Amino acid sequence: MSQHAAEAQDTPEQHAFRLRARTYMAEHLPPRLAEEAPWVWDRPELVLKDRRIQKLLFDGGLAGLTVPVVYGGQGLDPSYEAIFLQEALPYRLAWALGNSFNVVLPTLLKHASEGLKRRYVPRLLSGEDLWCQLLSEPSGGSDLAGLITRATRTEGGWLLNGSKVWTTGGHFADMAICLARTDPEAPKHAGLTLFLVNMHAPGMTVRPLRLIEGSEDFCQEFLDDVFVAEDHVVGEVNGGWTVAKTAMANEHAAMGRGWHAGYRSGETTNELAPPEDLLDLAKGRPGDAHVRQLFGEAWVLDAVQLLTTRRIETGIRAGVLPAQSGHISKVMSAKAGARRTAIVSELAGVHGIAARPREEGLSAGMNRVIRHAIGGGTTEMSGNTIGERLLGLPPEPLPDRNIPFSQLAKNAAPKRGG
Amino acid sequence: MDILLTEDQRLLQDSTRRFLEKRSPVSAARRLVSSQAALDREAWREGAELGWLSLFAPEAYGGLAESAEGAVDAAIIAEELGRVVFAGPFLPVSVVAFALAEAGSPAQQEAHLAELAAGEKIAAWCFPAEAEAGAVTTQPAEGGFVLEGSVFAVQDAELADLLLVTAADGRELSQFLVSKDTPGISVTPLVTLDIARRLAEVRFDGVRIGADALVGVAEGAADLVERQLQLALVLQAAETVGVIDRALEFTLDYAKQRVAFGRAIGSFQAIKHRFADHAVRLEGAKAATAYAAKAVQARAADAGAAASIAKSHTARHGVDIIRDCLQIHGGIGMTWDHDIHFYLRRAVSNEALWGTPAAHHDRLSRLAGL
Repeated sequence: MSQHAAEAQDTPEQHAFRLRARTYMAEHLPPRLAEEAPWVWDRPELVLKDRRIQKLLFDGGLAGLTVPVVYGGQGLDPSYEAIFLQEALPYRLAWALGNSFNVVLPTLLKHASEGLKRRYVPRLLSGEDLWCQLLSEPSGGSDLAGLITRATRTEGGWLLNGSKVWTTGGHFADMAICLARTDPEAPKHAGLTLFLVNMHAPGMTVRPLRLIEGSEDFCQEFLDDVFVAEDHVVGEVNGGWTVAKTAMANEHAAMGRGWHAGYRSGETTNELAPPEDLLDLAKGRPGDAHVRQLFGEAWVLDAVQLLTTRRIETGIRAGVLPAQSGHISKVMSAKAGARRTAIVSELAGVHGIAARPREEGLSAGMNRVIRHAIGGGTTEMSGNTIGERLLGLPPEPLPDRNIPFSQLAKNAAPKRGG
Repeated sequence: MDILLTEDQRLLQDSTRRFLEKRSPVSAARRLVSSQAALDREAWREGAELGWLSLFAPEAYGGLAESAEGAVDAAIIAEELGRVVFAGPFLPVSVVAFALAEAGSPAQQEAHLAELAAGEKIAAWCFPAEAEAGAVTTQPAEGGFVLEGSVFAVQDAELADLLLVTAADGRELSQFLVSKDTPGISVTPLVTLDIARRLAEVRFDGVRIGADALVGVAEGAADLVERQLQLALVLQAAETVGVIDRALEFTLDYAKQRVAFGRAIGSFQAIKHRFADHAVRLEGAKAATAYAAKAVQARAADAGAAASIAKSHTARHGVDIIRDCLQIHGGIGMTWDHDIHFYLRRAVSNEALWGTPAAHHDRLSRLAGL
């Protein structure tokens, strides 16, 4: 629906909100620039900029639109969020706070104590605290409930020891939700607790991970007797899996409806433009039947992916698709992306693997190396979720589900000579 | 179809599905095949009463064009028809009604639209099977034109009373609406892979027709033909979506019930992950087709690309998915008595008709200026 069509359907209250949002953003927000992508972790200045944007939105009464007023929000119904996003199209939004808003906020609202919510939600909404998630560990990613970071009781709280990895934006974060093992004698899902951890606390070391192409989007953390106060447990002690499931469900739903709220936009017809990068590669050989096949195929891949992602976003927002449908967009992106790298490399030929000094040329081939389907959950885990949760197929057998964690094969002391 | 349907569209979808489950399930297609009958005329007229064929005709001719969203609503029906591998001429009648409503002379509209909408008259769309217009040539003749040539694989031409023919004069295209019993026209039924679909070869041997047979402007039909092709591709893609959707449904049911090695076979990742992959590709087929239907209905600038994209994706992945559904059934899927071959035959047939995926990749290159 176009903005004009949407505006015509506003109630008087919605229209007043729309005009207020429009005026305020025109006065305060920086423009949306193509060269400033939502992916910020390589550009500290954008992280700073996003935090300032969030503060401006908060000061203007445009942050946490659906969050209750007592926690610093605006207490409005979800229709106002849609209006806000329509009006925000010309401006940059605080996309660096994706984890804070997509994952941490709904998790805190659902499971945190009144005291934690009153203390942390307003700071999250104002961009004062940037949040990350300490979930995956070096010894296991997909099997999250098999984690080994320990939390042991100490006076007034807990001491956390272990290592976390694949933390998006960990080096910029102030706070984290952290899942740790509090009872190794319970079966693996039943001995976990979710903590709110200060990323600047003594004993917390954050090290950016250098990826294949040199970027540093993710971090590894080392926790060495990091103290967490008693009242910073979210949910029940040993009830962390329930809380983590909320966090993961929100993460997947956000991936499904678009992680960077409002970043994708557009009309519903006339937007399937041919892929420019491939057009450039194909232009040199327009009469080559093989080139034409590859180009046409890539256009189909791009278009179907765009339309499917939007379909899933729309369906999740409207409540006609379950949140797990986000896995469909994710798997499609993974498979289409992999095929696309083959097409690009085929069209680029040797220019995808070698470039003259000071020439930008390797991006075509580099995607063939770095494009994988691991982050945010592997394609294999998504395959299980789609099969079991969306299609109703029987679940995987889980032989380790009811055995005390300390007795599982991978945690038992190695046998001599074994 | 689209993820968010209007109340009217949902009603149309529900009533069509209920009607087809009762009046024309796959077993009906099976009976037609074994009796070698062409069409259950009674069911066809009842479908017409539900409004299937009225979407493009104006109200003055008993149609619903003013209130319907032509291509979008027709795609909803086509998807339902795909779910039961329907045997009737929904697609050609829709495309010809669309063509006449858009460019037919008042006399042509007056003479045919109401009867097409009521299911009393059937029209075939003589468009070259390879999606390249120009297999029939036309020459001006005294008082009209002469048609020469043939079109291979015309859907439901044996049933048709009327033929909409695309003919080339040199490089320019013209379209004509002719009665099938015009002297010089012969229709030869073809042996079809999709046994629930009738295709024929239509020959034009010195067929003399009057100037009043012309649809639109002589030598100026290229845009009309393009829009008809877009609509045909959308309806074909929607039908394929229905075919995939239903085949995947009953294959999933089977995988949940069939037990091997002490487990339902759908609990094995070797099967489960394939279903997940199929569900992803089916969602893509729905998204691409719904978009194309809207783009064609709105005459959007990217409607041609959208139609080719929907065709390529649904055809390619449709066949792939249903082939794997057959595989998941194991031996029973190889038998005549199992329905899945009807679904696979329809998917393979739709893959080839009006341009293979590769032909549409080439078309997309052309649309992008390559």
